[in-house]
Amino acid sequence: MIPRFLLAGGLAILMLVTGVTSYLYMGTRQSRIAAPIQKPVTVTPKPQAFTLPGTLYITQAGAIYSLSAGRFHQLTAEDGWMQPSANPEGGLIAVKRSPMFSDVYSMTRLGQVTAQLTNNQAAPRDRWDPGANSWAFYPRLSPDGRTLWVSYDGPKYVNYGDPIYEVDLAVWAVPPGAPIRQGRMWTDANGYTGGDVQPVPVAGGAIIYTKYSYDNDYNRVGQLWYTNRARSSGRPLTPQAASCAQPSISPDGGSIAMICTGGKQVSNLVIASWNGASLGELRTVISDQLVAQPAWAPDGSGIAYLAPGSAGGFQLWFLPKNAYNPPAPSPLPTPTPTPGGPHNGPLPSPTPSPLPTPPVIKPIRLFPDLNLGLDATSPIVWVS
Amino acid sequence: MPFGTRHRARASRGRLSPFRSLTLAVLAIALSATAGGLAYYLPAAYTAWKMTSQRVDVPSPSPAEILFSPSPTPSPVTPGAFTVLLLGSDDDDKFLRKDQVLTQSMILVRITPATKRVVMISIPRDLYVPLSVGGSGKISDAYAYGGAAAAIATVQNNFGVHIDEYIWVGLLGLVNVIDRLGGVDVVTSNPVLDDYYPDDIAVGNPYGYKRVAVLAGPQHLNGRAAMEYVRSRHSDLQSDFGRSKRQQHVLTAIRQKAKLLSPEDVPSLATAIGGEVKTSIGPDRVARLLPLAASFDNPDSIEQYVLASPYTRGGAPGHSLFPNWYLINQLVRKYFP
Repeated sequence: MIPRFLLAGGLAILMLVTGVTSYLYMGTRQSRIAAPIQKPVTVTPKPQAFTLPGTLYITQAGAIYSLSAGRFHQLTAEDGWMQPSANPEGGLIAVKRSPMFSDVYSMTRLGQVTAQLTNNQAAPRDRWDPGANSWAFYPRLSPDGRTLWVSYDGPKYVNYGDPIYEVDLAVWAVPPGAPIRQGRMWTDANGYTGGDVQPVPVAGGAIIYTKYSYDNDYNRVGQLWYTNRARSSGRPLTPQAASCAQPSISPDGGSIAMICTGGKQVSNLVIASWNGASLGELRTVISDQLVAQPAWAPDGSGIAYLAPGSAGGFQLWFLPKNAYNPPAPSPLPTPTPTPGGPHNGPLPSPTPSPLPTPPVIKPIRLFPDLNLGLDATSPIVWVS
Repeated sequence: MPFGTRHRARASRGRLSPFRSLTLAVLAIALSATAGGLAYYLPAAYTAWKMTSQRVDVPSPSPAEILFSPSPTPSPVTPGAFTVLLLGSDDDDKFLRKDQVLTQSMILVRITPATKRVVMISIPRDLYVPLSVGGSGKISDAYAYGGAAAAIATVQNNFGVHIDEYIWVGLLGLVNVIDRLGGVDVVTSNPVLDDYYPDDIAVGNPYGYKRVAVLAGPQHLNGRAAMEYVRSRHSDLQSDFGRSKRQQHVLTAIRQKAKLLSPEDVPSLATAIGGEVKTSIGPDRVARLLPLAASFDNPDSIEQYVLASPYTRGGAPGHSLFPNWYLINQLVRKYFP
């Protein structure tokens, strides 16, 4: 028999604990829809995990990381860093973005800043007008390291005190570290489209870049263009209807990977052969993911790209070469007639064995246990 | 009765048998666990009750409005299909009366569950039409003059459609919802650059400007970046029309992300929304619609239209737009009863 006052006290405590526990438990049952991103450096390499050859540079939350042998290293602080690209003389160049402007910097492969290559901060025209600042995005250095290709929205004009609302990026070629006035505007952007972005230097001092324009229905679409002359748009490489962007040239220079959206809320990985002047047929390789920033492996073993995981947020994926460039089927072995048995009758007609079905090669998600939440507006840099 | 017996009897009355005690304990656990669960959902239920089932008394069109309004032949009614009017307003600190704001965004949505088809028609905010509250003006004024009822009546009278439900979302509501969803994955159509974007959220001076650069392509946008993408209109040849297209991109992405929601997410989502969402849809219908949204997987099943030229043309009073009712009616009649 239990005394009533003891029971009442016990029950009160029990109810309090159960009620609070129940409340807290409901809170823990929330879906992981808003799961916070995890810093890449929390990754501990697993012995059996799939690793990529060479070194990749990726961006998360304003910091640049390197990935080598399955281990991440944080190169910069979370301070607006984005869009790294390889410096042919070693190290990287990258954009540092502030709220009102962005600049290009060079840095070592360990993230030590060595020089500021552009200077886009401007004093306000007056107390309320921030429009004199400029953006610099998608920097690339020419193979000889003597030209910085960059998407730039300056110079800014003043229209007798009235603000100019049109802001479009154009591709500029600037000696690294020189003032922008020593550079040359290389492309003429279409007005009110956002402009020309993602220059990729190719042989002969030319570039491939993404140009935005309006289609017949006034939708804005991206197109890859090729130009080898300053102030010349050049010629389109992809059809307007495909709406393609983010070109990436294979290490052997014979193919280009890109993303194409067709103007919809989809983003396919598309590859095409490249002969230095024109593209071959566009071939969609991945159509069931929101693909961004394809980058070829330096050894040609595949393509890395970014795409959302199951709960959203961009993760790192790898598509092996066999998925988009399957090996030619091996020739069928010639059937060897076998004796027809003791009667020596007619030989049975050989039944050709069916062609083996090639296995479906699927993309591999690296670090599937982590929500990396990578910056999908920053290209992946992949060097050997 | 001897003293010892009386004492034992009193002591016995003050005690319970183990069986009764156990029964009480089980009951207490069940009750308190239920209470804890209810307490978890109570704020959400209260918010849901406040923001849903908003009753609107849509005024009937006057005989004159009926006489002069276009009267399209309605498309056949599909069972289960319904029409929603989505309204979006800037309700930042510049607006002292939160119930007297313009609707920067008006989207007519026809949802047909049977065919898993969605049609969205963005109505330009500057469309010059007769308002249900009297007189003519920009269609975005209707909400400021008479709330959701006036906005619905104005759209119904002018477009000849029947609106079943409405959803109004404030500026901060959209930002908070997207953040609570953990951001959305959007394919932005082009770089959206604006040197004079209103810097009016959580700042001391809501009349300031800031520079905005939302880069192109697939990317993960948080609430503020998504707002910048859908709200910027300076760097756009189509101004408000281009903005409408971008709004549809983000709506599609929100729908995609909402598929991952579970009932346990509702309280935090409701807290995030606060008073920034109002709808005529009841909680029970919201619950039924969420799984429905998840079943709309084919991007081709969502048709999106923006009433730009030739549906509209400039030159109307106050930089507003004249509607081309002949073309608009053809489009609306095709999809809306």
